[in-house]
Amino acid sequence: MAADVITAVLPASAVEQHLRQDLFISELRTRRKSSVLDELASALATARVARTPDAIIDALRRREALGSTGIGKGIAVPHVRSTLIVERALLIARSTKGVEFDSMDGGPVHLLFLIVAPPLERDLLYLKMVAEIVRSTRLARTRQKLLEAANFAAVRDILVEAGHD
Amino acid sequence: MTDSLEALVELQDIDVLLREVKDPEMALQEQRLGFQLGHVESLERTRRKLAAQIDGKLLQTYERMSRRFARVVVPVEGMICAGCRMSLPTSAIRGRNGASLDIENCENCGRILYRS
Repeated sequence: MAADVITAVLPASAVEQHLRQDLFISELRTRRKSSVLDELASALATARVARTPDAIIDALRRREALGSTGIGKGIAVPHVRSTLIVERALLIARSTKGVEFDSMDGGPVHLLFLIVAPPLERDLLYLKMVAEIVRSTRLARTRQKLLEAANFAAVRDILVEAGHD
Repeated sequence: MTDSLEALVELQDIDVLLREVKDPEMALQEQRLGFQLGHVESLERTRRKLAAQIDGKLLQTYERMSRRFARVVVPVEGMICAGCRMSLPTSAIRGRNGASLDIENCENCGRILYRS
């Protein structure tokens, strides 16, 4: 079923509400975890989601130090809440060659979904988004489609469809 | 943003992370989703080191207020305190505590404000 038909009848998922073209990196320039985090933080600052990139890099590194968010099968879902985040956001980035991300299965990461939010007292959507991404990418065919998608619009359609499966 | 304010923001971010890790419900949810959470002692050490670098009075204010608010350091959005949503103006605490830290508090809720 086409994604536009699905969205016409079902309410938008938390992920769907946060998909933004300016927060899509089709191909990461770097391949090491540390420099990839820099690249992601810089993209957040450019999109004015983060007030400064430096503080976000620190927050991301602190979160990764507690345990890698590379959950295996080529997926990483870094997520952190920081005072210097302006609004809840999802940044999607791809790496054809793969990023060394200390993943639990030891493999490289090809799809990164960075979820950030300000530290509001109660933010139910923050972890809901993390859960939706984990669930949406559990199938190998969805992951493959996301990697092969020609552009942001195609990525969005795949995630919308997977979110309603 | 002043160095003192930057340090407070960092401290608050560490506290947010520590609260998440120590919240049994959130930690369980993270683990169920496949995320590892460990090395909390190292994060607590980082917090202690950072806290030691912050002016004593300012730290005391932050610690006291953090018992009331989940977010003590909040941005100014337009002319609104993002913590209590009340209109500012604000007054600097410089006059109140005698330190030249260039820190502002919301006159309504007392939260520490930053402008970007």
